[in-house]
Amino acid sequence: MRALDLSLRAQAAGIAAGEIDAGELLEATLERIEERNPAINAIVETFPERSREMLAAAPAGPLHGAPVVVKDEWPLPWRAQKFGAAQLPVPVQPTPAESGPYRALRDAGAVIVGVGNMHELGSGSTGNVSVYGAARNPWDVERCPGGSSSGPAAATAARLVAGAVGADGLGSVRFPAAYCGLTGLKPTFGRAAMAGHHMAATTSLIVSGPLCADAADCRLLGSALFGEAIPAGDAAGLRIGVVRDAVSEDVTPEVREACDEAIEGLRAETGGSVHEVELADLEATTLAGILIINAESLDGVTPELLNGLDPKVSPINRGFVKYRMLLPAAAIVQAERVRTLTRRRLAALFADVDLLAWPTIPAAAPPLDAPLVELPSGTQTADQANVRGAALANLTGIPAISVPVGLGEGDLPLALQLQGAWGADALLLDAAEALERANGRRWVEAWPPLARAEAAET
Amino acid sequence: METGEQAQDFVPAGLASLGIEADEVELAVMQAAHSMFWPPIRDLLSMDLGGLQAEHDPDLSRAPEEDAA
Repeated sequence: MRALDLSLRAQAAGIAAGEIDAGELLEATLERIEERNPAINAIVETFPERSREMLAAAPAGPLHGAPVVVKDEWPLPWRAQKFGAAQLPVPVQPTPAESGPYRALRDAGAVIVGVGNMHELGSGSTGNVSVYGAARNPWDVERCPGGSSSGPAAATAARLVAGAVGADGLGSVRFPAAYCGLTGLKPTFGRAAMAGHHMAATTSLIVSGPLCADAADCRLLGSALFGEAIPAGDAAGLRIGVVRDAVSEDVTPEVREACDEAIEGLRAETGGSVHEVELADLEATTLAGILIINAESLDGVTPELLNGLDPKVSPINRGFVKYRMLLPAAAIVQAERVRTLTRRRLAALFADVDLLAWPTIPAAAPPLDAPLVELPSGTQTADQANVRGAALANLTGIPAISVPVGLGEGDLPLALQLQGAWGADALLLDAAEALERANGRRWVEAWPPLARAEAAET
Repeated sequence: METGEQAQDFVPAGLASLGIEADEVELAVMQAAHSMFWPPIRDLLSMDLGGLQAEHDPDLSRAPEEDAA
């Protein structure tokens, strides 16, 4: 297997052992981006000289010489983030800077080889709207790659790189991980590097997080973002909570079947137990997350700024950012009360179970040109359907991870989400690794067609 | 309940009161968003949360300090 097809940890270990030449790996990665990226539009900018300079100066850290991609959500010292849009609806446009994720990656020795595409303004779960044009899913380039971290996921799934950094404000790491067959970690709020994000000072929901093929690579990349090693355990005796309500059950039959099988596999692998639990008012929880993230995005926004918005911002987002101004303040206050109520309920629940398990996405990746999903409750937009399973973690601050658990119709990935108590990031990674063992690593080692052909030849 | 006519009026009236301009497409997006969000917002506002007070400046990296409600 070629070095650039190896896992992130194998690349880093190979470089550290002198078995892989980091310079050759970098050049091979840049070549592969040129070859494969046009089909998926995952990476919107490369900067070979900057990458070579990063490698030349890279310290002997845990990711020394490993190529990675960063979402278009943070600045780099040579490039301001665009947030997937022609203009950010903020008073001061971003400028190039050393962001938290940049510093974390640099200090770990990683080499940033490109900027990942993203859903415009981070406002969608599909990735089909972007100033750069839609990113595409390596499993089927006519399907959505997921969003908003569309490019980091598509780049990693297509093996342009072995790991990428995304951001998750209402599921934006977990959705693309699920659609692209990757593992994606939404860390506990505040644990992962966020400095330099244009909402870093105001957000109570957004975190950075790793997207990789499997949990071990997420642990490695996540450790860099955390600035400390995420220890490994075994998840023995895991108490798995499942919620049977309208939100968690309104999924396609193939998603239900794959997730049920995965939960049983995880139980058996860990010698654990499955418990049906109740978590009331999930729909209010979802709305609370939506209201709060939208309210927080209004910092410094004025009518004059909105009237001067670049017409190249998509009509849907031009309309939506203006609609935000009409959200009632009383609803935001009530949303904060719901947050407190839900945090208290979760604290009680996590005394009885170690994690919650439910589908990351209710249906596999929809078509790019019509991002709708057919669910038992009827046809919905993918955004409406997806956010119901994701907002809980962002609203309350708990960590969550999406793990691939199967391929459905059309060979499109399906995924299970695990959510743990505050600070249980390591346990989630342990559980994800146990799930990989339970299914023989079948799904984390499944490669999309775009990557499969060449790998088979080498 | 908000009537259809009231819903039609809400967005343009709100924008006008704030001095925010919008073209027809943006207005259509906002009407769709309003139709989607307003009913659950009304439900949210009607939720009886008793005397619950929101945590002040919560540390979202940790569990809440108070016991379960």
